[in-house]
Amino acid sequence: MDILKLRNVAKRFGSKEVLRSVSLTVPEHCVFGFVGRNGAGKTTAMKCVLGLLRPDGGEMEVCGERVTYGGTRTNRFVGYLPDVPEFYGYMTAQEYMTLCGRVTGMKSAAIRERTAELLELVGLKDERHRIGGYSRGMKQRLGIAQALINRPRLLICDEPTSALDPVGRREILDILAAAKQQTSVLFSTHILTDVERICDHVAFLEGGKIAVEGTIDEIKGLRGDTGVEILPEHPADLARLREAFPDAVLRDGKLVAANASGETARALLRFLVEQEIPVLRFERQEPTLEDLFMEVVGQ
Amino acid sequence: MKGFIAFFNKEVRELGRTGRLLLLGILGVIFGIMNPAIAKLTPWLMEQMADTLQGSGLTVTAYTVTAADSWTQFFKNSPMGLIILLILFSGAFTNEYVKGTLVPLLTKGLSRSGMAAAKTAMILGAWSGFYWLTFGITYAYTAYYWDNSVVRHLAFAVFGYWLMGVFLFCVMIFVSSFAASSGQVLAVTGCVYGVMVLLGLWEKLAKYLPTRLADSAALLTDAAQPADAFPAVAVTAATSLALLLLSFPLTAKRKL
Repeated sequence: MDILKLRNVAKRFGSKEVLRSVSLTVPEHCVFGFVGRNGAGKTTAMKCVLGLLRPDGGEMEVCGERVTYGGTRTNRFVGYLPDVPEFYGYMTAQEYMTLCGRVTGMKSAAIRERTAELLELVGLKDERHRIGGYSRGMKQRLGIAQALINRPRLLICDEPTSALDPVGRREILDILAAAKQQTSVLFSTHILTDVERICDHVAFLEGGKIAVEGTIDEIKGLRGDTGVEILPEHPADLARLREAFPDAVLRDGKLVAANASGETARALLRFLVEQEIPVLRFERQEPTLEDLFMEVVGQ
Repeated sequence: MKGFIAFFNKEVRELGRTGRLLLLGILGVIFGIMNPAIAKLTPWLMEQMADTLQGSGLTVTAYTVTAADSWTQFFKNSPMGLIILLILFSGAFTNEYVKGTLVPLLTKGLSRSGMAAAKTAMILGAWSGFYWLTFGITYAYTAYYWDNSVVRHLAFAVFGYWLMGVFLFCVMIFVSSFAASSGQVLAVTGCVYGVMVLLGLWEKLAKYLPTRLADSAALLTDAAQPADAFPAVAVTAATSLALLLLSFPLTAKRKL
């Protein structure tokens, strides 16, 4: 069953059309990367799903139920981590989790059990200080814990790693990857290495529309051809290579054949052997999401 | 209801942890003691200033303080308490909207009306607690030094001022449902009070206005009867309720 469905969702702020027609589907138990530039409309789309913004058009469904604006019932299926989560600084993590549990109508025993489990997951189990003294990374981790307290079927995270140092980022990504066992994760970001690390599905939002959507492999498959780089031992051999493969270019003492098919790569290898050209490095470059993203955004 | 109880507990904890409860308690006690103390000290102050006053042509004669002086002080000082509380709670809603602290709870299924009801209960509870604490202390000291029974219609006068306070807090809660900041909330609430004072200059209208309830002097000296203020009580109560009821749908549709 699909956890989240968006059909032609549109939203404008005054004369600025942020979402033109966004359609996407998040399946169960997956980490879905929602990628786009700053200001592409990722947060707007997420806020529409949460009933915090009223879309100008289109339909949204969470677990088969329609999303309505302002206090939508579908929020009982959803956990949300805002981009900069703000909590009550005078509470401890335990107290905040208890408040969240009570708000969702959980029983006291269940709240205690779930709080212990989740604070352990996010590494805040032994934290006795008040939230006011937390670092940004600690707040993000508490943010994930509170979002998961009522075992939501969809966890929506708005750029959870953008403002963190490499250690903090890694921790959050590990926690999100672990959360996949319990829930589907919709995770917006503009950091593509994060997407490659933990997502199985990805959608690129550009110009108010989903430009590309699919599994990571499908997306990478869109750019089937990979690049080949050859670094010969003797720079003098570069000219011979260039002559034999006029489509390739010389860059920094290397021969670079962009978008080389498998056939081209084999021909290059054959040529090196036949001509007895010694090489220091022969490298096939996998297509990266970054290449594709740059293509999508027209850079 | 679950959301209301959970959020109300959070509000009470917030009052305690941010030191506001302590502040309200201390202010309540100070205001409560101050009213009879000023009354008690008046003859002594007059005596101290007698020479200066004599110089300017005023002759001070012996002055007997009664319970009425203590209650006059109570109604003179209560506006200060009311203003402090209005300032203290002007950001109760808007600060949460601005900071975004409500978002995690609302997206978890906390109803906006439950949230608003809990905040309303906390604010009106704090005003009532503060006001009746001040009243209790003033009453006890006044009874100890003088005789409260010489003051007429005290219960009604005290109730009237409390109700006018409730009205102003309801205005504040209503404005909070659409205002962007605590500054705006205070400014609009202040304007509403100012408009009422101006409208009160028109005699025909004055007896229906909430500000009429703050006019205790005539009641205490039996120059006015409680029945004269009944229209104002009815209008104030009805308007307060209407403002609260209107604030709920506005809060529900507020963009966050």
